[in-house]
Order: sequence, then structure tokens, then C-alpha cells
Amino acid sequence: MAQSLLSWGALSLYTTACLVAVGYLFNKSERARLTMLALLGAGLVLHLFAYAARIAAFWAFPENRWYLPVNSFFGALSYMALALAAAFFFIEARKKLGILGAFILPFVAGSLGLAVLKADSSLAPLAPELRSYWLNLHPMILMTAYAAFANAFGVCLALLIQERQIKSRKPSELCYRLPSLDELDSLNGRIIAITLPVLLLGLAMGAVWAHQIWGKPWTWDPKETMALITAAFYAEFLWLRYVSGQRGRTPVYVSMAGFACMLATFFGAELSSGRHGFLGGK
Amino acid sequence: MKLISLSWSHRAKVSAAREALASVPVERVLAELKGRGFEEAAVLSTCNRFELYAAGQANQELAAAKLISALEDLAGASLGEQAEVREDAGAVSHLFAVSSGLDSLVVGETEILGQVKTGYEAAKNAGMTGKRLNVLFQRALFVGKKVRTETSLAIGSSSVPSVAVQLAETIFGRLDGKSALILGAGAMAELAAKHLASRGVSKLVVANRTWERAYQLAARYQGEAVRWEDFPAELEKADVVIASTGAPTAVLTRELVAGAVRRRGGRSLFLIDIAMPRDIEEAVHDIDGVYLYRLEDLEAIVAKNMASRAEAVAAARRVVDAKAAEFCAWAGSLSTGAERSLKHSERA
Repeated sequence: MAQSLLSWGALSLYTTACLVAVGYLFNKSERARLTMLALLGAGLVLHLFAYAARIAAFWAFPENRWYLPVNSFFGALSYMALALAAAFFFIEARKKLGILGAFILPFVAGSLGLAVLKADSSLAPLAPELRSYWLNLHPMILMTAYAAFANAFGVCLALLIQERQIKSRKPSELCYRLPSLDELDSLNGRIIAITLPVLLLGLAMGAVWAHQIWGKPWTWDPKETMALITAAFYAEFLWLRYVSGQRGRTPVYVSMAGFACMLATFFGAELSSGRHGFLGGK
Repeated sequence: MKLISLSWSHRAKVSAAREALASVPVERVLAELKGRGFEEAAVLSTCNRFELYAAGQANQELAAAKLISALEDLAGASLGEQAEVREDAGAVSHLFAVSSGLDSLVVGETEILGQVKTGYEAAKNAGMTGKRLNVLFQRALFVGKKVRTETSLAIGSSSVPSVAVQLAETIFGRLDGKSALILGAGAMAELAAKHLASRGVSKLVVANRTWERAYQLAARYQGEAVRWEDFPAELEKADVVIASTGAPTAVLTRELVAGAVRRRGGRSLFLIDIAMPRDIEEAVHDIDGVYLYRLEDLEAIVAKNMASRAEAVAAARRVVDAKAAEFCAWAGSLSTGAERSLKHSERA
């Protein structure tokens, strides 16, 4: 009960922060920026408490002790929202890139909103094969990577708007308020360059875990395949951007395709019958 | 409190008084006023204005005439006729308007904020500031910053070269460390070079059909001149290219630019064509990562900025008036003994 109230509280704070961020995009006001940060900060605190309460409730089942509640859609979505909100709060907002809130915070509110409104928040004892320290590593690392990719996607949206503004030869005031093309481009590139190895690490850990319990590291189930395609798109982006030195829209589109694949990987669990069915509640 | 401001600014039709004052060092003015018994005074001296602010207690006699005669002795010229004299609330809102860039020749320019700060620090170092001027000048700096972060007064340049520089900044961010290639060595090219150099562009390369003129222009801005035949090689190194040659046909073709872009390692390229007839083929703009602006594009942006300028000025005015009223309420409360607090929490 307390947990649900806290989650609702965090969601409403995130949503309001989101609206303020959109207002700040079009209205130059220092007060709006500070309001957005205050709302986001308060949301983060409530969200942390909500997550702690959830862990406490999860551990009420003795067999779940010391494992993190990321084996359900609710737990996963809520964790990703938390990671993304924290990343934005500590990275962009402090680097005077608060204007990007309008592009990134909707993913925070959306992710937690989906959890609170649509996902089943009930808790149950873990399936025996999930009772492993790998549960605290493999999904956590991947979800952290997903949150970082969502952050990069928000930056990409701002980048495309800025590119279009400058190409149009009729830049609006927004153009002077958004960070420069170079800044957005290097931010996007850096986030992906740091996150792709994290994604690959998470996948490798999954393979080790699978090998330990099923004797087979890789079975090409839909989730595994999509994850690999996601990694391939992001690798293609890095190759285009840093090796072949392409600039402008093409690499940006490739990284956005990577994000689409990532969404398919995460939600595609419904399709998967076997090894990743836990998330869908199967 | 009592406050008087005297100013000689670019608004005056005759600049003789301002010129005479400009040659007097600020420290001498402060020392002279101190010698004559003034307790708090600060001087703001820039190439466009000379202003003196003096403050005292409410019941104190502070005559503008005394201040002017002190300045006249220093400058050795007659100043009284051209002086704009303001008192109390009028002086407060004038200083806030000045620090906001509202009173500048180029409205919204940002340099003035630093100049106000310099003037304040000089007065502080000379021991000529007390509670009144300290709070007044700190508020003026605060209001100047507030206007710049909250209104669009400072954005939206009003000349073609400054719009070009501003666009370059939306592409590259800071311009220091960037390089510019100037094709042609005429007046327009020089104006562009001057603006880019003032924004910290670290390398200027000039190419012109007449080598001597390229050399002279480059020398004036610590740049480098190259032979006309060699400019294509410079294209791949430059971030900003300004073309203003008198050539009858385009000197930058799509083929030439596309070739250079391939060797640039993905850096954006900003091209500005201010020549008539055109120096750069229109098709160049279609290349990914290349942005070509022509003179008429820049002029259209200037026109749009000028139109929205009025709105920004009004918004800035509102901030200045509100903050001036707030300050006056505080200043009034000083003499009644029940000092009100100024909101410092919302410092930008």
C-alpha cells in the first residue's frame, strides 16, 4: 500500500516535471528550470523509497532474500525509470543541459507510468532457476543500459530538431536555446560508446548464466536475437560516427533504429516462450 | 537614502564632454571625490558612456552641481550642459537598464555587464562603496544576468555578421579552437573576419586572387594567407567558410565541397555566401552535415530579430522596473530603521 502510494507520488512528480520541462523549452525562465529540477529531485526521493519498500516486501518471502525484484514488468520498468531519472538529474541537469528535459523526462514518466498503470505489481516467490546471484547482475546491467539508451534517444530527438532548424535556414528561437549540434552529437556518441560495452557485458553474463543452468549459452530465442540486433545497430552507429566519420542525420537514424530494437527486445518478452518468459509473467 | 547619477552617453548629440571624461582615469575621479568629502561613489567608464553614481544618507545634501564641478576640474572641460542627471528611483532604474544592455548602442549586448562589474570593483577597491552602493551594484549585476537568462534580449543579433557568428555557435558551440577560411578580401570579408576573431576563432585563413590583399587582411587579424590555387586544400580543415569574392561564377562547387567533406572525418561545415553573383553552388546545401547560408538568409534572420526585438525589450523593461521598485522599497526602509530584506535567494 505504502509502496503503491509512493510510486504514484513519484509518477505524479515526474509527470509534472515533464510538463514544466516542455514549458521551459519554449519559455526562457530560470524559475521553470529550477522547478523542473526540484520536482524531479523530489520524484527521485519518493521513487527510491518506493523501490526500497518493494524490495522489503519482496524479501518477505524468505527464498527471495538478497535478490532484487526485477523479475516482473513492474520491477523492470520502475527500475529503468529510476535509473534514467537519476542519470538525467546528475548528468544533464548539472551540465546546464536542463533544456533536454523535455526530450528525456517523458521516458521517465512513461516508463514508471506503464509500470504503475499497466503492469501487475504483485510479488511472488522466485522460480527456483532464478534464485542466483546472476539475477542481480544480468537483468540489472541490461536495464541500466536500456535507460542510458533512452537517454541517448532523447538527445537524438533534440539533435534532429536542431539539425532541421539549421538546415531550414529559418531558425526559430528554439535553435538558439538548444545545445549546439556538436554538443548534442558528441553527447549522443559518448553515451552510446559507453553503453554498448555495458549491453554486451550484460548479454555475456546472460550467456554464462544460461550455460550454468541449461548447459546452453545461446538458443536464439526472440529476446536474445533482438538484443543482438540492437547491439548490431548501435555498433553500426559507432562505426559510422567514429570510424567512417559520417555526420549529419544518417548515423542519428541508425542509433534511433537501435533504440526501436531495444524496445522490441524489452517488450518482445511476451513473444518469447522459453527462457525469458519470466518478465511476461509466464 | 539619497542617490544621484550623472551620465554622458552615446545618446548625447555632442560627444565632447564624454571624450574629455574618457581620458580621466577612474581611480583619479574616485580619489578626487573622496578628497571632497563624498562617501560613496562609483564610476562606469566605457567607450560609449561615462557615468557617475553617488550615494549618501537620506537627509544628506548631495548636489549634482558639486559632483559636476569636481569632474570639470579633472577633465578640464565644461560638462554640465550635456549631463543627464537622475535622482533616486530614476537613477536606480537607469543603472539596472544599463547593466541589462537596454541602454546600450547595440541593445542587448553583453559586454556592458562586465564593465559595470569593473566599475563597481574599482569603487570598492578605492574604499568608496558602503552598504548603499554595494547593494545597488550587486543588484544591478543580478538584474543584468536575470534579463539575459530570462528574456531573449541578448539573443537575436541585429547585424549580418553577428547573425552569422551566432549561427556558427548553434552548430559548433564555442568557436575557440575552430578555424575559418575567408575567400575574398573585400570589406564584407573583413567584417566577417573581425566578428569571427572577436568570438575566439583560433585560426583564420584568407585566400584571394590578389595575394597582397589576402596577406594584408590576414595580417590584421593574426591570420594566415594562402594562394588562391591552394584554397581547396584548406576547405577540409576549415569549420566556417565565408565567401565574398567578385568571381563571375561559383568558386565552391558541389563536387569540390563533397570531396572535402569526405576527408573531414565527419565534422560539420558551415558555409556563408555573401557574394553577388554567388560564390557557392546551392546544391552544396543538400550534402549531409553541410549548412550553406546566403546573404538573403542572414538578412531575413536579422529582419525577424528586429521585429521580435520590441517584445524582448518590453520583457526586459518589466524585469528592470520590478527590480528597481524592489530596491527602492529596500532603500526607503533603511531610513525608517526597519530594514526590509531583498530576495537574494533567486540569484541567477
